[in-house]
Order: sequence, then structure tokens, then C-alpha cells
Amino acid sequence: MRNDDPALWDLSEVADAIAARRLSSVEATRACLGRIALWQPRLNAFLRLDEDKALAQARAMDAELAAGRRRGPLHGVPMAHKDMYYRKGELSTGGSAIRKDWRAPVTATVLEKLDAAGVIELGFLNMAEFAAGPTGHNVHHGDCRNPWDQARVTGGSSSGSGASVAARLVYGALGSDTGGSIRLPAAACGVVGMKATYGRVSRAGAVARSWSLDHVGPLTRTVRDNARMLMAIAGPDPNDSTTSAKPVPDYEAALEGGVTGLRIGLAQPDDEPVPLDAGVGAAVRVAADTLGRLGAKISRVQLPDFTALYRAAEVIVKCEAAAMHRPWMEKTPGLYANQVRSRMEAGFFIPATQYIDALRLRAHFVTEFLATSLAGVDAIVLPAIPFPIPTLEETDTEQKGGPAVLKMVAGFTGLTRPFNTLGVPALSLPCGFDRNRVPIGLQLVGRPFDEALLYRIGHAYQGATDFHTKVPN
Amino acid sequence: MDEKTRTIAGIATGLQGVAYDDKRLAELAAEVEVLNDAVRKAAAKLAFDDEPAAFASLMEREAGQ
Repeated sequence: MRNDDPALWDLSEVADAIAARRLSSVEATRACLGRIALWQPRLNAFLRLDEDKALAQARAMDAELAAGRRRGPLHGVPMAHKDMYYRKGELSTGGSAIRKDWRAPVTATVLEKLDAAGVIELGFLNMAEFAAGPTGHNVHHGDCRNPWDQARVTGGSSSGSGASVAARLVYGALGSDTGGSIRLPAAACGVVGMKATYGRVSRAGAVARSWSLDHVGPLTRTVRDNARMLMAIAGPDPNDSTTSAKPVPDYEAALEGGVTGLRIGLAQPDDEPVPLDAGVGAAVRVAADTLGRLGAKISRVQLPDFTALYRAAEVIVKCEAAAMHRPWMEKTPGLYANQVRSRMEAGFFIPATQYIDALRLRAHFVTEFLATSLAGVDAIVLPAIPFPIPTLEETDTEQKGGPAVLKMVAGFTGLTRPFNTLGVPALSLPCGFDRNRVPIGLQLVGRPFDEALLYRIGHAYQGATDFHTKVPN
Repeated sequence: MDEKTRTIAGIATGLQGVAYDDKRLAELAAEVEVLNDAVRKAAAKLAFDDEPAAFASLMEREAGQ
């Protein structure tokens, strides 16, 4: 039975209720604001909240609907976004101290698309400084905390996006993913996160971490919600030359195909680059069994050499980040968190030939991946994060540091970063809870531009399980 | 200071105009060595005609249905 509080409804439910005028956008916005008042002191998910502006937008969307105009399937839905999407004339910190007072000269393409779709913007969300960090720590704006256990990390870098969607403060949020930064907070917070194919979503007007590896994407409560949001933001953009001209499919219309006859490979990661926790591995095997019972053919597949993919990504990120951050690293190095600055410094010393070779290798890596791991299967399932979600204290590289902490933090991206190198789509969705009762993320990986298939598999899985309906309290 | 650290130190001051203490230079030398070696090893499969832009065109060609 549907809960009386519309903040607890899914994005699709609330959007459809607004369209049918059973609920107003103002009511949905007020419901979110009520949840934010309750949870923000515990989570620190929002960096900026603009209630008046959001309510004004909601009133305008209700008026349009009353006049017979519906902009589309997101009309009147409240959201908030990682604080790295530019809105012309407004603050955009990128989670940093360096840009704490900086105002954006342009509006990000994805925000323009969401504006056109009638989305309400509640504000901007916490994130790792300059999208650099897989845990959700932020020394400048305060750490974002996991709604399931506030002593534990949210995953990063889209920390506020994961936390706010999980706690039902917003119906959807934009994140970005250079090494896992959509999928990690989605996994750790128990929501759905899509890193679509490189080129599927415009990066224009978003703070870059690595031009070659950055992916923009949505975090939502359900796969259906995610499909609806991706459809609104995907597509070519003259302001981002890396975007594909391929038509954007109707992802939501393709959800109901089921998994009967689909071939799904269960990947068993080796101990490199990071060991897999037994409980996490068991949850993913059970998820694969569930898909098998739904009609999919499950087989074991071998993953590619993740270490090579991981190192190539590191070379690309460090070189590109060092180049773009150089002026600030020279003039105001003290304004960075130590771990953020130090992770870029190697970029000054990697030979340009190695950087170019890392880029040249990507096509080879993709060819090999398609010919081996994905040969004979339609998609692969594996964990998103290979271990139970640790505490903020256990992963505090700034205060604690040391090789063990650094290794654990690096381990976060061990099963996600390789898919940034490959550029293929990867979806994270909840598939259980770890020994600390914090969510476990299942990762689905497919062929280039095959987001619709991943959504179809994820939707079938969510039709047979209820992990996505659990709400932290 | 070993040879690799001296090389990093030379690039820091001579080419990049950045300064680090000896401990940090040694850390950077070790980090760069790991990354450099991994890419050099993988790059054995590269051919003369391989270019970075091949990645984008491959993604378009291999698009799932």
C-alpha cells in the first residue's frame, strides 16, 4: 500500500501523480523539504538549499499543468545535484575551498535539459573536493554521512547524491563518475546509479576530473526512475564534442522485456586489485541466481586484466588533473586537502608518451573485453564495492593516512574504475545488506550504448526483490 | 637519493617548476615507476597506426542493440 508521505514515493510514482493532478509539484516539493529538515543535520548532504526558488519553480510547473502543458515525464519533480554542475551566475564550489565563492559563467547542458523537462531544483549537494575521492570525505564542507549508519561513508565522489536519494530527500540527483563516483555512492547508500557509455551524456558545464574518463549520470531510487532520468539528459550536445549522435532510446519503454533467454555472466573477481569479501561475493551470487530463476542463463566469465585497466586510468586521470589544476597547485596549494593535491602530483612526472599510450590502449582494451569477457553473454554481473562499507574514521586519509588506509580507499574503485577506461555502461543497484546492515551494490556491465539492456535486467531484478524499497530510518 | 628519484627531482625543478622535499620526491618516483611500467608493458600490443581517437569510433561501431 502506498505511503501517505509523497516523499517516500518513487520518482516515477510522484511524476505520474503530478501529471494526473492527484498531487501538486508544490506538495511534492514541500514533502522533500520536510525530509531535508529532518535529515540534513545527520547527513550533511546539501551544500546549498534554496527553498523559495524551488517552491516558486513548483508553483510555475503546477500553473503550466493547470493550463494544459506538461513538459514531459519529469514535470514538477524535485531534485538536487552534485555541486559541480554550473548554473549561470550562481555559486558552484565543486566541493572545494578554491571555488567557494566562484560563480559559473554558463549553465551545464544537463541542467538545461532538466530545466526543459520541468524538474524542480532544490539545491546542490555535497561531494568530494573536485570529484576526487571515493569515500565522501570533505575537509572544506564537512563529510557527508551514510543514511544507513552515520558513522560510515557514503561512497564518493557523488556523496550527497547517494545520501539524499537514499534518505528520500530528493527523487533523483545527478552524479559524475570518473572511477566509480556514481556507482560507489549508489552501492553504499542502496540506490540505483548509472554510468552510461562514454559520450552518451554531455559533460559540458560540469567540473572535470578527467576529460577522457568523466561520465555524467543519474542516481535514483529505482531502475525505472533512473531510465526516465537518463532519457531526459542523454543525447548529442554541440558543446561537448565527445557526445555521440546516436539516437537516445526510450529506456523506460524497454524495461518490461524480462530476462528470459538473456545470457548473463557472473564475474568472480580475482584478488587483484583488491580481495573480494565473502559476504559481498555471496550476495552477488544470490543476485545472479535470482536472475537465473527469472529465466536468464547464468554462466561464469573471466574479467580482463583489471590491473592494466586500472593503471591506465590512473595515468590518464593524474595527467589530465595535473594539467587542469596546475595554476591552483602552484599558487594556492594549501587550499587543497592534502590527499586531493597529492593524488594529482604524479601527473607532473608521467611522460607524455605514456599518457598518450594509455589513451591509445583504450580501443585495444575494449576490443579484448568484448571478445573475451563479454563473448557469449549479453551482460556481466559483479560487485560494485568489494568489501563492507567502512567507517569515516577507518578511511580518513587526511587525518589518519598510512598505507593500510590508502590501500582500503584505493580498493573502493578496484571493480569500478576499469569500466571508465573501457567506457562501457555500468549500472549499480542494491542487492542486499552487509554484516553492518549497510547496502551492498550489484554492478551490471554491458556493451557500448546498451544501457537499455542493463535497465531491463535491473528492472526484472527489482521486480523480484525488495532491497530498493528499504528506507533508512 | 636513487637514480629515479634524482630524475623526478630534475623534472620538478628543471622542467615543471615545482618543488618537493626528498621524501616526497622518492614517493613520487615510486608511484610514477609503477604507472609507467604498467603502461609500457601494456603498450607492447600497440601498432604504429593506433591512435587515441580509435576509442570513440570503436564505441560507435560496437554499440549494443
